[in-house]
Parts: sequence; structure tokens; C-alpha cells
Amino acid sequence: MDEEQGLLKRLREGDTSAFEAIIKQHHAFLVAMAVPLVGPQLADDVAQETWLKAMAAINGFEGRSKLRTWLARIAINEAHALTRKGKREVSLDSWGSDPGSPIASRFNEQGAWDVLPAQWHHDTPEELLSQEELQECIRKHLHKLPDDQQSVVIMRELAGLDYAEIAQALGLLEGNIRVLLHRGRQRMHAMLNHFEEVGTC
Amino acid sequence: MLTCREMSELGSDIIDGQLGLRTRLAVFMHMHKCSRCSLYIEQLKVTSEVLQQTSLNGQSVDPQAILEKLNKPRE
Ligand SMILES: [Zn+2]
Repeated sequence: MDEEQGLLKRLREGDTSAFEAIIKQHHAFLVAMAVPLVGPQLADDVAQETWLKAMAAINGFEGRSKLRTWLARIAINEAHALTRKGKREVSLDSWGSDPGSPIASRFNEQGAWDVLPAQWHHDTPEELLSQEELQECIRKHLHKLPDDQQSVVIMRELAGLDYAEIAQALGLLEGNIRVLLHRGRQRMHAMLNHFEEVGTC
Repeated sequence: MLTCREMSELGSDIIDGQLGLRTRLAVFMHMHKCSRCSLYIEQLKVTSEVLQQTSLNGQSVDPQAILEKLNKPRE
């Protein structure tokens, strides 16, 4: 977060290269978040509009939330403004169903562990993320999640939005959001586990 | 008693603190006795923290092009 504070400070001092760095860091995230809200064609427009609003309002950003959370809220508003004009092209009707536990086969009939969870070589987020190859692997597997799980993971974990906001943005119940988030986390855990056990993506 | 399978299903509610008192107590009892579930839930929490710190790939993003568009008067 220190890096973020530094960028914001430079930005307030009128250093436009700081804004470029912020765009570079978060643009792909904004586009990914907007896709389910407005469709892939318009997602880039939403991100673009978000930057416009963010640039105008950045001095009012007090840092009570993460910058990414603040940007995500602007993007959701912009997406709604677009869809109110009747431009929504995506259907989320099939979203929210529970595909079941990805680790169901690891338990025996009595519900006890059959295949035990393995100890990891790196057990803090910082240690894990210090591996460049792992970061690449996380991004790859994030994109491989089912669309609904991916969206909820991005909105909750990356954006830091709360359940109610996510439920409203996606038109789902909070209960659905919880299940999708859990399934998404379980699959990403399985990916990290594989990486820790085997050493490759 | 909660089974280990049930514990794994409760995983996100456990790390997000979304459980009622009774279930919380049952979870606490299970964790106390079961190092396997403790490990799984701890790793699920680390997974969540890793995701919170993940950025999507900005390599193909051209910030200057985006800024230029922003500064253009709107038609
Ligand atoms: Zn257990």
C-alpha cells in the first residue's frame, strides 16, 4: 500500500507520470470487472470513463478504502449509466449455480480427509507472491475460472467490494455471491497447492 | 460434530467471519482437534490474501494513449 500512497502523493503534486503508472496498474482490472456488466465491446469504454471521473475526483479520494475499491465503485456506476441507455448486451441468467466442491474427491464416505492437505514451502502471501512465475500462474487460472466465479473473485478479492455491492451489481443474491466466492477461492487454492507441490504452474 | 467435508464447505464463511455463534463454536471445537482442517482453512485464507494483492496484467496497456483520449474534447 506504501507504493500506492507514494503514487497518490505525486499525483496531487501534479506529476502526470504517476497517473500513467496508476492506469497501467489498474486498467486491465477495470476492464475485467466491466465485462460482465456491459459486455466485452463496451468494457473498455467503461474503463475509459472511469479514468475520466477518477482524474477529476482524485483530490477528493481520502484513502479510506483501497484505490482499487474506489475505482471499482466508479466503474460500476459508469456501467450502470451505460446499461440505462439500453446498451447492456450480456445475459447473466445462467450465473450463480453451484457446481459443487472441487475437492469433493479428497474426502472419504464418512467425510474425513482421504487426501491430506499438504504443507506449503511458502506460507505467507508475501513469500508466495515473490515468485514471478506464480503470479503469472495466478492470472492464468483466474481467467480459467467459470465466468461467474471469476467475476465475484475479482469484485471481492481484487476490488475489495462488499457482498451487498457485488450482489446488486450482478443482480444475484448475497447467498449466491458467497457460494461463488468460496468455489473460486477453492479452485485458486488448488492451483496454489499444485504449484507448491510440483513447483510449476 | 462437523465433518471435515463440512468444514471445507464452511471455509470462506470461517475466514470472512460470517458464522453465527453456534456454528462458530462447533468450528472452534473441530479446529482444535483437527490439524488437517486447520491447515486447509489457513491456506484458504492465504489464498484470499494472495488474490487481494494480485494485479491483472497491464503489459499491453498503453497509459499515454488512454490519457490522450481523456484530454481530447468530447464530440
Ligand atoms: Zn477436520
